[in-house]
Amino acid sequence: MDAQRLKDSFAQVAKRGGNQVVLFFYADLFCRAPETRDMFPISMAAQRDRLLGALAQIVSNVDNVDALVPYLRRLGRDHRKFGTLAEHYGLVGVSLLTTLAHFAGDAWTDEVAADWKAAYALVAQVMMDAAEDDGESPPWWDGTVIGHERRSIDISVLRVAPLKYLPYAPGQSVAVESELCPRTWRLFSMANAPREDGTVDFHVRIIDGGALSGPLARKSRPGSRLRLGPPVGSLTLGTGSGRDILMVAGSTGLAPLKALIEQVAGLAAPRRVHLFFGAETPEALYDLPDLEKMAAQHEWLTLTHAVSGDPAHSPGYAGERGAIADVVSRHGPWQDRDAYVCGSTAMVQATAERLVSRGIPGSQVHIEDFGWGGGSTWS
Amino acid sequence: MELITDKRLTPGEVQEQVTSIPLARLGRRGLDPEEVRAFCARLEHELVLRDKEAASMQQDIQKLRMRVIQGPDEDTPATAFQPGETHIQVVSMLAKGQATVDRIVADAQAYSAEMAHDARRRKSEIIADARAHAALIVDEAHREASKAAAAVPAPSSPASPDELQTARAELVRLQTYIDVLLDHMQAFTETQMHMLDDWKRSRQVKLAEAGNSERGRAS
Repeated sequence: MDAQRLKDSFAQVAKRGGNQVVLFFYADLFCRAPETRDMFPISMAAQRDRLLGALAQIVSNVDNVDALVPYLRRLGRDHRKFGTLAEHYGLVGVSLLTTLAHFAGDAWTDEVAADWKAAYALVAQVMMDAAEDDGESPPWWDGTVIGHERRSIDISVLRVAPLKYLPYAPGQSVAVESELCPRTWRLFSMANAPREDGTVDFHVRIIDGGALSGPLARKSRPGSRLRLGPPVGSLTLGTGSGRDILMVAGSTGLAPLKALIEQVAGLAAPRRVHLFFGAETPEALYDLPDLEKMAAQHEWLTLTHAVSGDPAHSPGYAGERGAIADVVSRHGPWQDRDAYVCGSTAMVQATAERLVSRGIPGSQVHIEDFGWGGGSTWS
Repeated sequence: MELITDKRLTPGEVQEQVTSIPLARLGRRGLDPEEVRAFCARLEHELVLRDKEAASMQQDIQKLRMRVIQGPDEDTPATAFQPGETHIQVVSMLAKGQATVDRIVADAQAYSAEMAHDARRRKSEIIADARAHAALIVDEAHREASKAAAAVPAPSSPASPDELQTARAELVRLQTYIDVLLDHMQAFTETQMHMLDDWKRSRQVKLAEAGNSERGRAS
């Protein structure tokens, strides 16, 4: 297998085919095996970006096995929850090579075909091995909604009882699929440390135009069924550093941080935690009563909340004002703390950059990252 | 798969063996060491066989997997993946259909997102407006109420249910009294009218009698 030839071939196909490549690939797969269509949502747009992203990652790292194998193993384990079977790997391989041959045109030679075949065999092998090594744990957990609280116009808190015990580390997330919106998976963080009864809480904020968050927040009722994927994510408490902790939550970014606070509460010697909880409006600070109760209960926990929207719209609000990054910046210094930041992409970026500029080493700023690296710090 | 022909040890046999090993000779405790050693040897042999079997099956699985992933022939020519014209037509049609579906779904999502975004943006404005408006109305009402309170003399004391009932009874009594009074007035007036009529008639009679006597005296 010639890595450079493979990369060149992929670049040529991508250049010639553009968006059509992935569109053609899925159409070919569904023609060959119509039953696989049911494994995907109605709109394939997001799925296409995902596949293209994964392919690009794999091809550009095809000669960098150390980075590629952990990624593929995660991918393989991750695919179990979709009900992926061994024979699907064969079907996908045939469709992939057919697509590449179609778009490569004259450049599709025996050598190139052999390269792709070998590369795909390797990828499929690693993914299947990982899925099999993971065989002890279920591919997904079925769960039932047992509590549903609408906290504001666009935020609900769900309590879910998985039928089998779901083991996870506080701060981790699971992909969630709902019978209200089949085949659409979205990551949600467990908002509590593992409980004896195995129930987990999800904080669901309706994303404008979001396919799953709307039905989940508005239409879930006790008894609604969900499917949960295996726990992922590494926004977890490092036990080694022993430093005190700064937490910054933007609205429902609170969920994993609340789980971490519950974990700290269970430590023999709790580390000091200062939690900053910010949102645009006071209503979006949907969990304040509970947080205030926790802060009153634990002397090591300090709570500061802030609203960033127009003060004229929230005249009665008594907390701090301004973007959460600015609010955090006004307090401090934080150099000797481990920071955990969670919220919208823009909020995480602004906050992490501000913290680093204020002197916290990037390696002490923990953020969520489910992508290629799976890293969990800002730098 | 490697064929394993040795005679196999079954779970039943293990059970049988364990219960059938004779006790050690008199004066010694436990099972007969010779028999135990022989049985352990068989067990060991069995475990080795099972390991070999497992390894061989694992190899088979790998081979089958590779066949699934790569197709039966290891050296498929490049042309095997060159799709035929009909296949391309079908796939292209399906791809077009999917692209249309995706566009429609994306449109719908964008539209709902826009509406939701707009509603959320306007929600704060509307609530602020409503709050200001409500404050105005309440102020106005307060002013009106104070004005009205100043104009009306304060009642000596609020009426109790008993007092109310008494007042209501008094009202009914007064109404009846007025009705009776009216009846009396009507009757009195009618009597007066009769008396007036009588008086007029008697006056005319008297006037006529007086005229007649005057005429008699003059003649």
